[in-house]
Amino acid sequence: MEGLEQWKKQAEKWSSQALEHIQAEKWSSQALEYIHQVPPEQIYAAIAILIFTSFLLILVRLFKRPKANTILLSGLSGSGKTLLFYQLRDGSSHQGTVTSMEPNEGTFVLHSEKSKNGKVNPVHLVDVPGHSRLRAKLDDFLPQAAGIVFVVDALEFLPNCRAASEYLYDILTKASVVRKKIPVLILCNKTDKVTAHSKEFIRKQLEKEIDKLRASRSAISAADIANDFTLGVPGEPFSFYQCQNKVTVAEASGLTGDISQVEQFIRDHVKS
Amino acid sequence: MLEQLLIFTRGGLILWTCKELGNALKGSPIDTLIRSCLLEERSGAASFDYNAPGTAYTLKWTFHNELGLVFVAVYQKILHLLYVDELLAMVKHEFSGIYDPKRTVYSDFDETFRQLKKEAEARAEELKKSKQVGKPVNNSKKQGQVQKAGLGGDKKKNEGGLASDGGDGDTMKGRRLENGNSNGNHVDIKESNVFGTANGKENTSSNLGAFDVNKLQKLRSKGGKKTEKTVTVDSNGSKAEAKKKITKKNRVWDDSPPESKLDFTDPVGENGDNNTEVVAADHGESMMDKEEDFSSESEAEEEEEEEVGKESKPDKQKKGWFSSMFQSIAGKANLERSDLEPALKALKDRLMTKNVAEEIAEKLCESVAASLEGKKLASFTRISSTVQAAMEEALVRILTPRRSIDILRDVHAAKEQRKPYVVVFVGVNGVGKSTNLAKVAYWLQQHNVSVMMAACDTFRSGAVEQLRTHARRLQIPIFEKGYEKDPAVVAKEAIQEATNNGSDVVLVDTAGRMQDNEPLMRALSKLVNLNNPDLVLFVGEALVGNDAVDQLSKFNQKLADLSTSSNPRLIDGILLTKFDTIDDKVGAALSMVYISGAPVMFVGCGQSYTDLKKLNVKSIVKTLLK
Repeated sequence: MEGLEQWKKQAEKWSSQALEHIQAEKWSSQALEYIHQVPPEQIYAAIAILIFTSFLLILVRLFKRPKANTILLSGLSGSGKTLLFYQLRDGSSHQGTVTSMEPNEGTFVLHSEKSKNGKVNPVHLVDVPGHSRLRAKLDDFLPQAAGIVFVVDALEFLPNCRAASEYLYDILTKASVVRKKIPVLILCNKTDKVTAHSKEFIRKQLEKEIDKLRASRSAISAADIANDFTLGVPGEPFSFYQCQNKVTVAEASGLTGDISQVEQFIRDHVKS
Repeated sequence: MLEQLLIFTRGGLILWTCKELGNALKGSPIDTLIRSCLLEERSGAASFDYNAPGTAYTLKWTFHNELGLVFVAVYQKILHLLYVDELLAMVKHEFSGIYDPKRTVYSDFDETFRQLKKEAEARAEELKKSKQVGKPVNNSKKQGQVQKAGLGGDKKKNEGGLASDGGDGDTMKGRRLENGNSNGNHVDIKESNVFGTANGKENTSSNLGAFDVNKLQKLRSKGGKKTEKTVTVDSNGSKAEAKKKITKKNRVWDDSPPESKLDFTDPVGENGDNNTEVVAADHGESMMDKEEDFSSESEAEEEEEEEVGKESKPDKQKKGWFSSMFQSIAGKANLERSDLEPALKALKDRLMTKNVAEEIAEKLCESVAASLEGKKLASFTRISSTVQAAMEEALVRILTPRRSIDILRDVHAAKEQRKPYVVVFVGVNGVGKSTNLAKVAYWLQQHNVSVMMAACDTFRSGAVEQLRTHARRLQIPIFEKGYEKDPAVVAKEAIQEATNNGSDVVLVDTAGRMQDNEPLMRALSKLVNLNNPDLVLFVGEALVGNDAVDQLSKFNQKLADLSTSSNPRLIDGILLTKFDTIDDKVGAALSMVYISGAPVMFVGCGQSYTDLKKLNVKSIVKTLLK
């Protein structure tokens, strides 16, 4: 009760100060009158409700944040990301795909888990186009990413090796990837073909290329496109184990639907 | 015959293909179309030619922007299927009715398509018959096609990766031409009127004698704009008419009866008069400093346009703010071309004031319009902001380099192969080739790369001495053979020398040359083809406006035409100089990148050796749209 009295006095003081503003005074007096009429219990109740709801909202916001359930599919154009996306979603490659012009996005329960009993958490999967002009879209999705799948064409690997490693280097040195330690899966796609390279070979080649990139990229520090972090340990040949985030290598075949290793990766990082 | 018809989402999933047609396409025309045309902001064009060994396809496409669908038809290039556009439109209409984002199989569409195709073919047949009666229309249409075919040939030559030269512009024209023609007879009267305007304008300007080319182009565009005011619907056709006038005149108008002959002496009406006045005023101003003149003119233009805007405004304001408010809250059903037009026009003008070449600004706007047409406007957004966002996205896409611009990486790769990395600097006179060569040398030297310069400017007096001075200051070896020597041979010897003494990079300085100078361009082509450098760097001024298009496309063209090999070397990268002098008029960067498809690798921004930077795409885009 005392608090209310004090507050009233204060309000009266203010209103007297604002004498020159006739209207303001009028309003304040009206407001005071109104407060007089309302029983104090109601005011306390109102304040309590206000505080409670805002607290609740903050709580909800806080709890929602860390629950990142987005898996990003990245990689060069033509490595089979879109096909993989539809394999994961529908379990079929439909009638094939062409170069994507826009990201494919969807929140769904993985096709292989649809038959499972019980509640399964849906995954938010984003397939970012690999065309170099559209790569900037990746940045939009990175803040929510729980994992990144970097798809590599194991069949046509050698001609695209440098481009792929450059893209991978860019991803691995992104500030948000390093800071949040987003796990990266290097997925060697198209392993159903006989001439496809093995995942060990691809890993070694990528490491070698990134090692070279490290030297040249750190040299352009004067430029404004500088990457925020340097990779690996200086003075040692680069290997993916040196990364702060977990980088693993796996094999898959989008065309035949042999994608169990990707599903495993997704399930490891998006809790079901 | 139609080879294939595909329907796919913008995300890349094929929804439906015509199984009946069934013949497997050779190569991957669809992917090529998407990568080198639709993603390069060239979707405003009408068709795309794909050449693979043994085949040549023409592709036509249409978008359904609201549903995010793309419809592509593929047919043999030698056939000119008239019904493809119509068929695509019909398929689009029918398919959008049954489309459901959750569905991925549309086998029931086969039957509908069969019918549509039959219909379209029948109609085309009819059109053919009726055309033999209506001769003039037929004639002009055919001509449009002939032209297109010719241009197709053009394109074929340039197909090697950077397909972006003259051919592209011409296809646009060809397409517009077709547009104009397809509008048919009723345009004729107006067209002739417009024609007259264009001619009158031309006459007046030619009276002035030596006159700035830029100005003439501006006038042309002005003429075009004016006609737009009078002939709103047929503006496309009339513009093309005005542009194509000289080549077209003989072929088309000779056939038609003399009544359509143009009377040059007659007063051409209000427009013409207006133009003469403007020209006269400009003439007075041209005594002033060139740059000032430029800005004052553009200002005048702006003012003029503002006035025009005001005049047309009352018409719109009649609608009242309430309805527009309602529209902004509710969101507009589907954007139409007419809704976008004012916003696009404003955007184009803004780009042009930022020194973007007019042609480029126009193409960009076309492409943005194509991507927005039919889209749903979200609540609480205005058309102008939607258009701006789309344009921003497009600009970022264009300016983002397609290939890696990490030269040091390439240098190291070449080093491993025990080969020197050769960079040839080409460009017109006085853009700063030698100066920026020295800057690049300094930058490379900073990163522990051993550099050698090759003085292959054996044409201009003092060029070798200039380079020698730079070399002395930077403590870099220089290879020179004096003047009166074939630059190609000098470069060859320089590379040989570098291989022997273990230099990592050879920077080849060439003589500045105007893009029209045939003998010098031939020499350059020889130099490039003989030495097969790793990087052909085009040095261009940031100050340049409409000429940027001409310079780059001609350089590319000449390099392609004059080379003996089937896979000629084109320009790989751009070095933009004098960037510190242009304030916010950064349009040249956009023009050059768009026309050549090559990325801006360096930006020269000052007088000292350290003033070499990378292009900051984001800031450029921001400046362009400011």
